Amino acid sequence: MKIVVCIKQVPATGADKRYTDDLRLDRAAAEAIINPLDEYAIEQALRLADAGAAESVTYLSMGPDQAAEALRRALAMGGDDAVLVSDPALAGADEWGTAKVLAAALDKLAPDVALMGMASDDARGSLVPGAVAAMRDVPLLSYGAELAVSDGEARVRRLSATGYDWVGAPMPVVASVTDQVGEPRYASLKGIMAAKRKPMETWSLEDLGLSADDLRGAALTQVTDARAPEAKAPTERLENLPAAEAAAKIADWLAARKLI
Amino acid sequence: MSNDILFLAEFSGGSPARSGLELATGAAELASQSGGSAVALAYGAGAASGAAALGAHGATRAIVLGDEDRPPITYAPAAVAAARDAGLALLAPATPNGRDLAAALVGLLDLPAFGPVRAVRVVDGLVETEQATLQGSVITTARPADGAPTPAVVLVLANTFTPAEGGSGTAEVTEASAADESALTRATVAESHEAEAKVVNLEEATIIVAGGRGVGGEEGFGPLRELASALGGAVGASRAAADAGWIPYQLQIGQTGKVVKPALYIGAGISGAIQHRVGMQTAEHVIAINKDPDAPIGEFADLFVVGDLFQIIPALTEEIRRRKGA
Repeated sequence: MKIVVCIKQVPATGADKRYTDDLRLDRAAAEAIINPLDEYAIEQALRLADAGAAESVTYLSMGPDQAAEALRRALAMGGDDAVLVSDPALAGADEWGTAKVLAAALDKLAPDVALMGMASDDARGSLVPGAVAAMRDVPLLSYGAELAVSDGEARVRRLSATGYDWVGAPMPVVASVTDQVGEPRYASLKGIMAAKRKPMETWSLEDLGLSADDLRGAALTQVTDARAPEAKAPTERLENLPAAEAAAKIADWLAARKLI
Repeated sequence: MSNDILFLAEFSGGSPARSGLELATGAAELASQSGGSAVALAYGAGAASGAAALGAHGATRAIVLGDEDRPPITYAPAAVAAARDAGLALLAPATPNGRDLAAALVGLLDLPAFGPVRAVRVVDGLVETEQATLQGSVITTARPADGAPTPAVVLVLANTFTPAEGGSGTAEVTEASAADESALTRATVAESHEAEAKVVNLEEATIIVAGGRGVGGEEGFGPLRELASALGGAVGASRAAADAGWIPYQLQIGQTGKVVKPALYIGAGISGAIQHRVGMQTAEHVIAINKDPDAPIGEFADLFVVGDLFQIIPALTEEIRRRKGA
């Protein structure tokens, strides 16, 4: 059983972020990290490998050349090899464009499970796993708090409205997992050294048999404006008041806004 | 291409999800701007008998994709048949189920995708969306690229639209046409486990009282439940409280939990980490109660009460009950 974990390099969560003049995220401006939610997908894949359920774990990322750093960091946590899809034609890719490219790369890698985080830290549409599954015509098992595999079938434990379900499908599948799979491991010094020798390939669009025309500029959407959020009114503070007085003031505040 | 506005309307156990009612009203609003009709894509148990009633909330027509409780993603092929070249926009709830189905449509029909949005409108015959991105640090306006296929798929947070009530309209109901074969239909629910306690759908609550690490334990949620009950709201939690097992994960608010947009959010003993903030930052009014005067939530709350939640919350509950005369 072969797993490919798709990871995305994103600006660090607390970093100062901005858009460039042509309305794209300025990826050079902030420290870049592995999308924190993708680390749970890595952890899930490595747990399956540790348990002997997966024979190999490959990482796949689409991004500029520096996204290779994110792949090296993933390899330091464990796993076997990595592929970076990098092409100047992919700058400014949207969710559709990203899914198109990942689907083509996954067709080439042909894993039993293509595993992803439930969302990216920077955009949060959560559409890429489902779009990739649809493009590849394989089942989608999404939002897993846990992923299990046996006898050619993959299953995820997924929260339902009132409890949880195990949702299953025959492999190959695309699966996404949440932060409930367990805390991602740290890379050991040994892991970091070993990662330097693990194979990493870089593919262009041509290697995937895709043309820039197929990708329509890698986006079906266009950002027409990017701006800072509206300034909000300053926070009103209530401090050092006896509870009853604080409660009365909160109730007045609610009443003034017709909330009670 | 038509100017219709499609929307996903999920049913389960015989009833429509509130998201479908909200989106019916939202779709009708957009349809009045585009000069088309609001058309429901209804699926899940109860869709066949319940779809017509979406007319009361704004839908002109409803296409029934299927009437069984099965993973919503499995309705994607039927949705494709209904959505192909069929409208200007398709509104989908920004819930796990809604996103799955929306994503499949994006993949199967090569559609532009937006959201979750905080606003959507039709300008000069084109869909225009506004969304907060990069953890809320940037607001972007976006449109479909020139010549992009339609409909544009738009993820919409709960409580973005308020369902129109009191309408007497009936949507004209049709069956979806035959769907293509697709591997997406192979996902099945192998086992179902019910929780011991009933949990509410937090996305539908208009008032939320949320507790975090500062609540200290399962019992600490007692006073929060009392306050929620006095306000007619629901109880939610931060990831720390859910991870600690004090409250079910269904009630977790944040990046990996529910994204909520209530009229009033009260956070008690919640520090306001960015991962929590992205789940509630679109609430209309935010009150924070925290004993730490430097808690980050104090920077974005509308009203920040510094103090002991175990004293303030019971006092507030009593005060509200007194004013409501109950």
